[in-house]
Amino acid sequence: MDYRNEPHGLFFMIDNKSFYASVESAARGLNPLRSVIVVMSEADNTGSGLVLAASPMAKKLFGISNVSRQYEVPDDPRILVVPPRMNLYIQENLKINKIFREYVADHDLFPYSIDESILDMTKSWRLFGRTPEEVARRIQLRIRHEMGLYTTVGIGENPVQAKLALDLQAKHDHELIGRLTYETVPQKIWPITKLESVWSIGHRTAAHLQRLGIHSMRDLASVNPYELQAEMGVIGGQLFALAWGIDRSQLHQLRPAKEKSWSNSQVLPRDYRAQPEIELVIREIAQQTTSRMRHHHQQAGCVSLGIGFARTGEAGDGRSGFHHSCRLDPTDNVQTIAATLLRLFRQHWEGQAIRNISVGLSRLNTSRGLQLDIFQDPHRQIKDERFDRVIDELRDKFGKTAVIPASSLMPGGTMLRRAALVGGHNGGNSFD
Amino acid sequence: MGGIVLIDPKQEADLIYARLAKLFTAQWHCRYRVDVVNDQYGQTFNFFMNIQRQRHRARSIPLHTLRTTDLEILEQVVNALRQQTQLSLNFVNFGRVRWPESQRWIH
Repeated sequence: MDYRNEPHGLFFMIDNKSFYASVESAARGLNPLRSVIVVMSEADNTGSGLVLAASPMAKKLFGISNVSRQYEVPDDPRILVVPPRMNLYIQENLKINKIFREYVADHDLFPYSIDESILDMTKSWRLFGRTPEEVARRIQLRIRHEMGLYTTVGIGENPVQAKLALDLQAKHDHELIGRLTYETVPQKIWPITKLESVWSIGHRTAAHLQRLGIHSMRDLASVNPYELQAEMGVIGGQLFALAWGIDRSQLHQLRPAKEKSWSNSQVLPRDYRAQPEIELVIREIAQQTTSRMRHHHQQAGCVSLGIGFARTGEAGDGRSGFHHSCRLDPTDNVQTIAATLLRLFRQHWEGQAIRNISVGLSRLNTSRGLQLDIFQDPHRQIKDERFDRVIDELRDKFGKTAVIPASSLMPGGTMLRRAALVGGHNGGNSFD
Repeated sequence: MGGIVLIDPKQEADLIYARLAKLFTAQWHCRYRVDVVNDQYGQTFNFFMNIQRQRHRARSIPLHTLRTTDLEILEQVVNALRQQTQLSLNFVNFGRVRWPESQRWIH
């Protein structure tokens, strides 16, 4: 393989080791690598409780993994269970990224998730050490000293190599640093036979590859890329590039998504069977999504409703849910949007128990005032519009629960209890 | 950290007490304890309720965070809190230091 024309930069992918659990350990004066801490969410919809993060020791001693259920966690006095504080983790993430900014220019830092960031060190690494490893060590120590957290660093010549070095090497390395280059990809990556362990390969893709007779990264690297592309589409070409450690993405020129849309979804705290209860939640999610869209002065020309059945409620034909959308005249009016969603729901629902609801608004355009409908009373329409605005303003000023529809107090409503959550989990104490 | 932060010890202690009172259900074979942590990284004092039922998992629930490193303020908050609750306080990561006012060891 001729790598001369591929981009040769220096990228760090830095990840916080068991981020939530480590933050909680540090706050309690415990060492994140030695403490046995489990961050467990007990929000309504997690059933008995869901493990959001487990410290490395909890993983090692008790085999607890993230997204374990509460009943899977042994009832051992050595384990310390703590509730999540999502707001705290967001703050800590911001602090860490602030430290990263001392090592790269602002536009060379790309936060990837709540605990991972990509740093394009191509231009700046020489300022901080003789070798990339030395620079990585320096950043690790800095974060350890200032925040008490351990970080793992993957180093590569492009973003995908950094990510692979992080996932496949650094996490098992004594110093928590891993490095890949174009030259070492065959030696380090090709022997891998557990394809799901490689970033971007999920279990479905892995199964597909297995069916094609591809059982290792070496097999993947030696297939004919054109045949793979014919079989799997664009993804085939990408997987082939992945096997060779090639990534031509230019992070600075990230393109915005072609068509933006707004959506919200939630997992219900229990199986919902009664129509009024389900419709109440659909209305609440419609409220929430529409209000987010209105804040961006947009109107939707298409609404979609996704329903996931409860495990016991699967349709006779084995479907696990349905997803339907419907065009409408561009609007940002909650009543119209909710009415459309309810119509969709009534058309397609056949009495199954439900566990999952999502609402999406797409085909957006900027709202330029109100387009009156000649078939309806204009005063009514203007009044509706004003009503929505006032509600938005009240909520902006006094919080999401300042005004709520009385229906949200009925059994089945989830809005009130979710209002205090961040990303669906406990945000932490207020007034902290 | 720049700026003067006014902390009213009584008010802070009331808030901590209100939160711990909800958690203190006085069960049999259960140890309740308030952890007070000197958080050098966040430059705060953190309060947690630690609940340990015999032979079960321990739980640690955040009560409050004092955004200061001033031991004098902490002493006042702790004194105010001690007037409201008899729960034992467990001081973590304070090293061998005396309270500024009473001159007793922090432990």
